[in-house]
Amino acid sequence: MLKSRYTFLQMTRIVWAVGWSDFTLKYRGSILGYLWSLLAPLAKFLVIYYVFKPLVGGEIAQYPLYLFLGIIMWEHFTVTTTHCMTALKEKQAFFLKIPFPRMLIMLIVGWTNMIIFLTHFLIFVVFVLAMGGSPWMPWLYLPILLLQMTLFALGVGMLLASYCLKYRDIQHLWGILSQVLFWLTPITYVYRLDAPISTQWGRFLELLHHPTLHTTFDLFVQFQPLSILIYDMRRVTLYAATQAFPSLPHILGVTAVLVALFALAARVYHYRSQYFIEEY
Amino acid sequence: MSPVPILSCEHLTKSFQHALVPVRHIQERIILPHRRKRVWVTKAVDDVSLTLQRGEWIGIYGPNGCGKTTLLRMLAGLLPPDAGAVQSHADLSCFFELSVGFHEERTAIENVRMHAMLQGVARKDIDAILESVRAFAGIADHWDLPLKCYSTGMRLRLGFAVTMASPADILLLDEILAVGDVDFQKKCRMRLMDLKVSGRSALVVSHSLADLEAMCDRVLFMERGRIVCERGASVPLS
Repeated sequence: MLKSRYTFLQMTRIVWAVGWSDFTLKYRGSILGYLWSLLAPLAKFLVIYYVFKPLVGGEIAQYPLYLFLGIIMWEHFTVTTTHCMTALKEKQAFFLKIPFPRMLIMLIVGWTNMIIFLTHFLIFVVFVLAMGGSPWMPWLYLPILLLQMTLFALGVGMLLASYCLKYRDIQHLWGILSQVLFWLTPITYVYRLDAPISTQWGRFLELLHHPTLHTTFDLFVQFQPLSILIYDMRRVTLYAATQAFPSLPHILGVTAVLVALFALAARVYHYRSQYFIEEY
Repeated sequence: MSPVPILSCEHLTKSFQHALVPVRHIQERIILPHRRKRVWVTKAVDDVSLTLQRGEWIGIYGPNGCGKTTLLRMLAGLLPPDAGAVQSHADLSCFFELSVGFHEERTAIENVRMHAMLQGVARKDIDAILESVRAFAGIADHWDLPLKCYSTGMRLRLGFAVTMASPADILLLDEILAVGDVDFQKKCRMRLMDLKVSGRSALVVSHSLADLEAMCDRVLFMERGRIVCERGASVPLS
């Protein structure tokens, strides 16, 4: 009965309105306001650029933009996943007192952080133009890549949120894991996907034959979703003239995996959310 | 044949279990391996059944901790019962606290709009709700100011007005009558009676037996998670 009041259109309207409202209210009262959302990636960018430019700057064309894009995509992922957990506390009153589809809170988190990412991306586009880049980009790919980013960040975020009230260790653990994951994601260093992913399953056999730490990390960096998402975004926005665009099977394959992850996470979150009141 | 109830539940049961402090950490497990984790268990609601007919108002009265709010939360779908089932045949709105979800930095109009959306109110009905809330709450001169400019009483009046503007057929109301000054409380009671006359159904939890008897068709008395007796127009105190 209750669900009938929350039609797809109604839910879209709630996510749109509350997401915008959360975005505008997030920094209200602070002196720097929205600039706070920019300072974290900017500070990270400046330090890493200073350290890594002499090491890998020569191997990577347009390294400042390469690095900046990697950092803002990383920030989007890590802020969204953490926000999924903190939102349960921020919106505790809603969970305790109003019977509405709990999924809405996660979708609102996704939309709020996508707005912030889009503002960062706009700055990236300005940098591209300022550094003599072409204003032409294969814009058609962007909505797909943004959708993939959201599916992945929300999928991981919902799985974390599902259990973070029951096991309070999860938030601490994720803080450490995300620092490790930062270095296992090709944000600062060279990454190339020379052959289609579907033809590279044999490399996992290497892991069975030579189960070394190096092989494990190498394969993880090569095939983890964030690596692929950042690589795809870079070749679409920065290297459109020199590198091949993501192929249709590649896009469909990656999207299918991320949709499956999102669907699984949504199911787990839906089941677990009925116990949140008892776990507060 | 008796009419189909608009809301009913059968044999609802709910227990809560909490680990007692200190919770066992991994270091305690290593240092004190024989110490057993202790949990506190309480049966908040124990085998409760009730039916709410269309247009009927039921009061629930009892001491603190007797399970009134837990029962309402299960009826609202906020808590899953351990046993039993809830059946509802109409839209339902529940109010466990006035002004829940209001944001200090938002104006009244923004807060009301947001609240109505989260309650699942359709877009076309929101403008009517805004007008109704504005007229009832008596805060016209603060309407465009952020909530942080409101006194406590004004916030509660706004919260009550929003609550009463919900178009749902069933209202689950938990302790929402102690609002504002005496004049506003009179206004609130009149508003509740208007809702009753208009055919809404409600389950009302309150610590004021006089209020419940004045507005409800029958009053259920709860103690230790159970309904122990009932008093109503047609049913004398058992």
